[in-house]
Amino acid sequence: MLYREAGQFKTTYAADQQLFPIRQDRIGVITLLLVAFLGVPLFASEYWFSAILIPFLIFALAALGLNVLTGYAGQLSLGSAAFMAVGAYAAYNFQLRIEGIPILVSFALAGLTAAGVGILFGLPSLRIKGFYLAVATLAAQFFIVWCLTKFPWLSNNSSSGVISTQKLIIFGHELTTPVEKYLLVLSIVVVMALAAKNMVRSSTGRAWMAVRDMDVAASVIGIKLMPTKLLAFAVSSFYCGVAGALYAFCYLGSVEPDGFSLEMSFKILFMIIIGGVGSIMGSFLGAAFILLLPIFLDVALPFLAGLFGLPFSSATVSHIQITVFGALIMFFLIVEPHGLARLWQIAKEKLRLWPFPH
Amino acid sequence: MSKKIGDVILDLQNISLRFGGVKALTDISFNVKQHEIRAIIGPNGAGKSSMLNVINGVYHPQEGKIFWHGNERKKMEPHMAAQQNIARTFQNIALFKGMSVLDNIMTGRITKMKSNFIEHALWFGRAKNEELEHRKKVEEVIDFLEIQHIRKTPVGRLPYGLQKRVELGRALAAEPTMLLLDEPMAGMNVEEKQDMCRFILDVNDQFGTTIVLIEHDMGVVMDISDRVVVLDYGKKIGDGVPDVVKNSEEVIKAYLGAGH
Repeated sequence: MLYREAGQFKTTYAADQQLFPIRQDRIGVITLLLVAFLGVPLFASEYWFSAILIPFLIFALAALGLNVLTGYAGQLSLGSAAFMAVGAYAAYNFQLRIEGIPILVSFALAGLTAAGVGILFGLPSLRIKGFYLAVATLAAQFFIVWCLTKFPWLSNNSSSGVISTQKLIIFGHELTTPVEKYLLVLSIVVVMALAAKNMVRSSTGRAWMAVRDMDVAASVIGIKLMPTKLLAFAVSSFYCGVAGALYAFCYLGSVEPDGFSLEMSFKILFMIIIGGVGSIMGSFLGAAFILLLPIFLDVALPFLAGLFGLPFSSATVSHIQITVFGALIMFFLIVEPHGLARLWQIAKEKLRLWPFPH
Repeated sequence: MSKKIGDVILDLQNISLRFGGVKALTDISFNVKQHEIRAIIGPNGAGKSSMLNVINGVYHPQEGKIFWHGNERKKMEPHMAAQQNIARTFQNIALFKGMSVLDNIMTGRITKMKSNFIEHALWFGRAKNEELEHRKKVEEVIDFLEIQHIRKTPVGRLPYGLQKRVELGRALAAEPTMLLLDEPMAGMNVEEKQDMCRFILDVNDQFGTTIVLIEHDMGVVMDISDRVVVLDYGKKIGDGVPDVVKNSEEVIKAYLGAGH
């Protein structure tokens, strides 16, 4: 009843091709943005900002980056965390070594550095595909972490490569509170998500998807495979790089190379698998699922145990947490292999007809 | 039919193609004239699809020369064929399964788009205008092929006959001067074949597109093509107008066996 296109006639191609063609979607997105920018800062606690919302946004951005590469361009990668590390250390070094460089500029440069590294490790994609490519990107994961530990210059000679990030100063104002950091991260993520959405709905995105779906046909149509794949690697690494810089500067404040482990790369990969491969919104849904579920289980399990009077030790709780987490991932993969984004899409299609059957 | 067949635009001379020890094509020469419908026929494994792949640069023949509009063509990559206005469809449907019909056909115009990814990301200047301008062209193709009702449907959900039609649409969107069709009617029922024939003839007639066609349905081939090349085991065994080819001793032998 509420979610219906009836009566919304498109009379121009411009109207048909806008970002959110359905009026209800537009209202929904604007509401969501208003809540995120105005509502949340009024009500959320400091814990929510620094432990949930900021990491959620940062990982959503990294997942978005991987989704560009894997979901849209079809190139499997296991190096997302490494590209985040490049971003984090590059931003740190730009701040450290260039006098008076604005923090946003160094974030952008960090992204570009990561993009450069991404292109380098994307070169094997010109010859190999699928799992073999994943193994090649694994090399990025190990090599970059090794580099950051091996060369002390990169971490300004600190022991074991740990860096403590500089102050966040934007237009002469230092961001110290979690709310301010949240708003900074949120703004960057919104702008970049919008840019990604624009890319995937234009010929850049169509070229990526064409390469993903049928590369021979794509090249016969006139798509040059090499630049298209490398662009996907560059854009993806740019997003991961910025996410890494935000991870260091706005979330942890101090990071070490080993923090950007293979486990983190897998986590980001799971986010897009659960959320939806080849969907911008899926990246956000997946990040929310992977990050929030453990926190939710942390709270819910002891509560349930208390309810039934079961004597759970904290170790048992953490074991159960892992088990339930794994089981839920498997459940989702079996029930809806296309991820949460597809579930959302199906729900919307049903809503268009509801309450009528046809 | 009032169309005018023009000069030779594609001339293949002594083409030989080998994969290791397997000879796919041996010393084949034929030409294609402007605005004609040129059929390539032959039994399975005769080298018909290889021939198309040679024409649009997917395979590189070891010997022979290819002249395109009178100029000898150097070794080329597949994407260069698109720049020379050669479009094709595939024997097994090669659509982009995850994309809608509209996006598939829009992809066909990709070589005509000039804006870069930064403009796309910012949705600024050329990016938006190009998108609208090309949408208009794509809608013309959609109208032509009578597939308006499915423009927003993901192609994976469409029945086979319509997928073939969308693939033709994707090739047409590039406004090619030469269109290579690899078994456009394979696996279709009579009605779908009739529709497809009509589209091919209309394309040839209205847009003046030169068509090179591989097809197994002899009725269709003899009806719509202007000249026919016959291949067998990678060799050319016949070439000419349909009536001549139909009655050629060698062609009948290849199709029906020597004992016939």
